[in-house]
Amino acid sequence: MPVKNEFDVIIIGGGITGAGTARDCAMRGLKVLLIERQDIATGATGRNHGLLHSGARYAVKDSESAEECIRENKILRRIAANCVEDTGGLFITLPEDADSGFGLDYQATFLEACNKAGIEARAISPREAIEMEPSVNPTLIGAVVVPDGSVDPFRLCSANVTDAVLHGAKVLAYTEFLDFIREGDTILGVKVLDTRSGETAEYRAPVTVNAAGIWGHGVAEKAGVHIGMYPAKGALLVFGHRVNNVVINRCRKSADGDILVPGDSVTVIGTTSTKVPFEECDHMEVTPDEVRLLLREGCALCPALASTRILRAYAGVRPLVADDSDPTGRSISRGIVCLDHETRDGVKGFVSITGGKLMTYRLMAELATDAVCRKLGVSKGCTTAETPLPGSMNGRIESVSKRFEGKPTAGQKGAAGRQGDMVSKITFETEADKQLVCECENVTLAEIKYAVRELGVRNLGDLRRRTRVGMGTCQGTLCIRRAAKALAEALGQPELADKLAADYLDERWKGMRAVGWGDTLREMEFMQRVYKYEKPYSYDEV
Amino acid sequence: MEEIVMQETNISAKNFEQCQKCSLCETVCPVMANNPKYAGPKRSGPDGERYRLKNGIFFEDSLKYCLNCKRCEVACPSGVRIADLIQQARIDYGRKAPKLRDVMLASTDQVGPLASAFAPLANFSLGLSPVKGLMDLTIGVDKHRTLPKYASETFVHWFKKNAAAAQEAFGKQISYFHGCYANYNYPQLGKDFVAVMNAFGIGVQLIDGERCCGVAKIANGMIAAATRDAKINIGAFGKSVKEGRDIVTVSTTCTLTLLEEYPELLKVDNSAVRDHISLVEQYLYKGIASGALKPVWKEGFKARAAYHCPCHQERLGWGIFTTELLKMIPGMELIELESNCCGIAGTYGFKKENYKVSQAIGKPLFDNILAVAPDYVACECETCKWQIEMSTGVPVKNPVSILAEALDLEKTAKANR
Amino acid sequence: MKFDVIIIGGGLAGMTAATALQEAGLRCAIVAEGLSLQNAPRRGFSAAGGTLLAGDRVVSGRFAGDRLVAVRTEKLGDVELEAENFVLATGKYFSRGLVADMDKVYEPLFGLDVEYDEDRSKWFDPSFAAPQKFLEFGVKCEGGKAVKDGKAIANLYPAGEVLAGVTSAQGDATEAIVKSAVEAVNAIWRK
Repeated sequence: MPVKNEFDVIIIGGGITGAGTARDCAMRGLKVLLIERQDIATGATGRNHGLLHSGARYAVKDSESAEECIRENKILRRIAANCVEDTGGLFITLPEDADSGFGLDYQATFLEACNKAGIEARAISPREAIEMEPSVNPTLIGAVVVPDGSVDPFRLCSANVTDAVLHGAKVLAYTEFLDFIREGDTILGVKVLDTRSGETAEYRAPVTVNAAGIWGHGVAEKAGVHIGMYPAKGALLVFGHRVNNVVINRCRKSADGDILVPGDSVTVIGTTSTKVPFEECDHMEVTPDEVRLLLREGCALCPALASTRILRAYAGVRPLVADDSDPTGRSISRGIVCLDHETRDGVKGFVSITGGKLMTYRLMAELATDAVCRKLGVSKGCTTAETPLPGSMNGRIESVSKRFEGKPTAGQKGAAGRQGDMVSKITFETEADKQLVCECENVTLAEIKYAVRELGVRNLGDLRRRTRVGMGTCQGTLCIRRAAKALAEALGQPELADKLAADYLDERWKGMRAVGWGDTLREMEFMQRVYKYEKPYSYDEV
Repeated sequence: MEEIVMQETNISAKNFEQCQKCSLCETVCPVMANNPKYAGPKRSGPDGERYRLKNGIFFEDSLKYCLNCKRCEVACPSGVRIADLIQQARIDYGRKAPKLRDVMLASTDQVGPLASAFAPLANFSLGLSPVKGLMDLTIGVDKHRTLPKYASETFVHWFKKNAAAAQEAFGKQISYFHGCYANYNYPQLGKDFVAVMNAFGIGVQLIDGERCCGVAKIANGMIAAATRDAKINIGAFGKSVKEGRDIVTVSTTCTLTLLEEYPELLKVDNSAVRDHISLVEQYLYKGIASGALKPVWKEGFKARAAYHCPCHQERLGWGIFTTELLKMIPGMELIELESNCCGIAGTYGFKKENYKVSQAIGKPLFDNILAVAPDYVACECETCKWQIEMSTGVPVKNPVSILAEALDLEKTAKANR
Repeated sequence: MKFDVIIIGGGLAGMTAATALQEAGLRCAIVAEGLSLQNAPRRGFSAAGGTLLAGDRVVSGRFAGDRLVAVRTEKLGDVELEAENFVLATGKYFSRGLVADMDKVYEPLFGLDVEYDEDRSKWFDPSFAAPQKFLEFGVKCEGGKAVKDGKAIANLYPAGEVLAGVTSAQGDATEAIVKSAVEAVNAIWRK
């Protein structure tokens, strides 16, 4: 078994927190290893709304979180321009909210709390709200405008990883944490499993950071440390197109299904919150009751959802953390939890970063990196809030797409919207490069080649997270076979194509099953037909 | 709170979300098969719509290559109004001012009156090759095109002078939407219409202040003008319906525009008059089938006709009325041609940039006609007539004109008195 | 308009039945939403003098006793299509011969009885490659005739994938589809 010890810090978990921490550590000059058992952004990072919170949601109950959110909101708009869309947000008050104590009196409290937290919020009339967002429930009695937006968590995570690598970090995806290498009360490194080759290896570093989200519970246990965590399942539905262009929230105490976010080419409603056992975290299925609940609540925000096609359902697991200050372990910590296990538990060389939210990942990374640096005696400060991520130097799709010679094609515009100024690395050399592989989402062969070359893609799920391939209306019915062939060839393993396609079909099928009726069921029949019987399309064109 | 009915229907603008990406539309699109610059109906329509909703920057100029034949909509198993999506996107996102050439081709009822007044001169200069070459260079009308001839006397002028007075005598009355073609280019069609209607005992009235249906203006981006005309027409139809006269049309394209494009693209509400608008073949078929109208056919009539169903008739789904009507004529041998687009699509084929594509699209139809070698082609559409006659040399007759020939007008008049 | 047989749906089943009946001398009309019909068989049907209503769809039916008397289509409006016999060849979900909503599967044109599992969790297998139960659902049949509210309709013959147990989405089902069409043709011809 090879033994290596060339790192300053090992980070476990390739979600947004781990990716952000890897970037921060690398930018402060540390030698970083990031390990992730699957692909980046496969856990809760990729399974949420993609809401760029203004913080207004927390303003009344939790001003600290609210202030964190609005600060990070402004930072992300600067450093991740190609991942963020400035949609604006509405908090609406419905007639039935008044009956349950969340009427216009509450709106006044809400406004005051927002302004106190530094969130620019202003009340507008129902008529103005309808003009701003025509799909909003027209029976609303009040609305507040806040600086919400949407953020693509896949791309945000990928950009952090890319930047970490640019700063010298080593990233190992599909590498599972098995155990710690430990000497007395000191953690010396990790034992890992390459899940694809089946080989194990050891890596050593003076500090290891546990950034494994809900799976961090198990990671900590391996160090003999207990973190009181609760897996809270959150289910969401994806609608077929952009129903709304402004985020719509309910102006009341946070509840199930009260946020509707327009993200990229779709709209997402969420979420629910159910405690689930740890064993279920890897196998989340959305239940019919959850679908019904989300639809019912979604329709209160936007009645058109009742008759809008649902593409799929998915669920993530939030890592809720028990508040250390409560001995019963019942109350949940709201904010970021950064634990130095040396002071807390007497385990040296081990830090856990958990709690928090997608919005505050950068701050979490900063806190975790500060803790690492303290241990290593490094004094360099954090610069992640000022340094733009790769792709966002000039991230507006309008300016990026001007870089192409002549009129940009749909595929080039699509790539510009996704990859920001990294689009200059996508080479459209041949006519085939310009061909669309995924027509729903405007993904070209060239973008696929780029993703394989630069973004560490190994399968179609990885490719989807970076390019949206197969995420559109047909959920891959038309493109999976083509994409599998293109990917397998780009990987230099053409024989993999069928396996890649089969795995991705199962993944797409899972999300569609939960909402298998109406036009989505029609699509499912068509999908079965295309892959089991007919071959009506030329898959050789790519 | 009222219980919301959830997920019983899937509603989206022009049904774009019903699209299953089956791509059948691409297999029937005549442009896609002939013009590589066109991304095709699926990508220009429902696929494009999703991304345009995200950001208008995803509007593609190539949508102008769509000739709006609506064959994609006929082929779609999901009811997606693909061509409408494309036209709507051109209206909403294509903000360039129309070219002078497009304005001239589109303004059928403004250029028409001028041209009719100087018809011999207009026809002479439009037919003269140096002039055609000049048009080719300057305004982009292809020089191979024979431009539609303008008649020296408009239908309306003829009607007022020769027919209007006699109409009051009939018990039943309809309003005739003659359209620009019958008025300016081919008044004989209008005359045949009046003759046939009168024979069936039906009086013909003009629409008060009839305007061009607007199809050419819509196709060429002149939406404000088209909307203004649409409102005037719908107002006039309302008056006619109130006075007890249904509206009867002869042009399939005008009819599709009045029925479908007004509410879908121009947002002009036609619901009050919609059910009172019929295409003449539909009107006559229903009358004859119900026994209300009694035709008496000429003895010894003989013809071998090939029926070409125009694209917009396919979209209306009313070709069956024409064929059933023509099959009633004793001595008529009717051959139904395979369904194909002729390639002209209104003003589309007149544009220099579209000429080659236009002719390539029409080729299967031309070959089919030449193989059948009929006495003439029966077809309801005026622009198909130009295209087919120019491209095959086989004459094209409107079914109304065929009826005018096949009916014993005097005996029919007696039978329907 | 009157026909001997109206065939609803122009896929393999509908076209097979229509062409056979038309060539046998019956006056047939096909109402087919979308271009499910392929060009070559379409030509055969047209050449035999059949009437094709392409791009139109049946919206309702008029019943008298245990018989379907006439149907109306979206485009022909108040002009009814009457016939002695009808063939229902509307296929499954994709072609909307069956419609599924959150709770049930139904036949949308006439409200015919449908065989399906009321437990939604049984509809799908988690593995895409495994057989999928929802593809086996279809209209009930009694002696080759469609069933409505438990009673057979005397002159409405389902054929092809609208039938329970017949699907081409999981492999070649040409034989089963053609067989069901031939059975419908024979039943009509025997009359």
